[in-house]
Amino acid sequence: MISHHPSPETLLAHATGALAAGHAVVVAAHLQGCAQCEAAQTRMESLGGALLEEFAPEPLADEAFAQVLARLDDPAPAPTASLRQARLALPSGVSLPAVLRGAEIGRWLWIGLGLRYSRVRLPWAPEQNVMLLKVAGGRKVLHHSHGGLELTQVIWGGFHDITGQYGPGDIGEADETTEHQPVADPEGCICLASLEGGLRLPWFTRLFGG
Amino acid sequence: MISRVAETRDRQAYAALFKHFAPRVKAYLRRGGMDAGEAEELTQEVMLNIWRKAGYFDAARGGAATWVFAIVRNARIDHARRRRDARLTGQPPPEEADLAPSAESIALTTEREAHLRCALNSLGPEQKQIVQLSFFSDTPHTAIANALNLPLGTVKSRVRLAMAKLRVLLEEMP
Repeated sequence: MISHHPSPETLLAHATGALAAGHAVVVAAHLQGCAQCEAAQTRMESLGGALLEEFAPEPLADEAFAQVLARLDDPAPAPTASLRQARLALPSGVSLPAVLRGAEIGRWLWIGLGLRYSRVRLPWAPEQNVMLLKVAGGRKVLHHSHGGLELTQVIWGGFHDITGQYGPGDIGEADETTEHQPVADPEGCICLASLEGGLRLPWFTRLFGG
Repeated sequence: MISRVAETRDRQAYAALFKHFAPRVKAYLRRGGMDAGEAEELTQEVMLNIWRKAGYFDAARGGAATWVFAIVRNARIDHARRRRDARLTGQPPPEEADLAPSAESIALTTEREAHLRCALNSLGPEQKQIVQLSFFSDTPHTAIANALNLPLGTVKSRVRLAMAKLRVLLEEMP
């Protein structure tokens, strides 16, 4: 049962293409497991289609169709070169979201007591700050705030904070106005997270590792 | 039409798609602030993608315009990234669609989309403009603030209201 969804603003930005690529991957991971948000996304794409139909057509150059016809049989761009995907140790039965198929995934790196980090590199947007995090159970994070939008999709295990209990499939959304004191569940937690700005850790783990 | 393009590589069906969608795709890109030459070039790329990706079209998910919208949106994102760094690859394609959706699910989708168009046209002019700018502007919040002469701080709640109004209109429909 999924109880935490992306905000309407984040879903709209995802549907219209305005969301940063890193956040878009985390939202896509959520959509793959959440029929309700997937339906909302489809509804917004239908809305985009309806608006597209309403545009006054802008004529193309006379030769445009002939030019495109001449290219129909060209080979499609080659698929991306082989990706480096580390085989992450995951609890049995757990697999990574399908949306990470096209991403490079680094090994688990130990970055602090009970905290492992794996860099997720998006070949189409390598500057984005996306990561997998594995947190040991039961630790408490001190009170703090953060800058920019941060999205955290729970893949396994969970955590809780003042906004509720987060389990697999739930997405946490935080920005500079949010203040949390999240605590990982006893079994721990594996999340996919995206952050704005430079390489730094998200609110969820900052003080686990500190 | 798109299914015919996918299944039999029907160039006549493709020509009809081109005639209908290419000028609207170009209008979309121009609306996002792209100059005419660039929009023309990217429209051709998008139309080529429509040919190549026709196999991913899922009529149970949405109509042709919905699918074309998603393709233009993604092309626009990739284009903006490549303008910064030409070496970047595009996003990987989604999983293959189920090519045999039931007639019932297609009929439901068609009905859902007709309701949505109806709801969209029942919005007041200002709310409709907010929805349009949300979808097609590069910087939606600034564009909405300028177009409606609103302080930037109130734009977020206006967008939320417009989207909520749409949902209410949809729910009120038979």
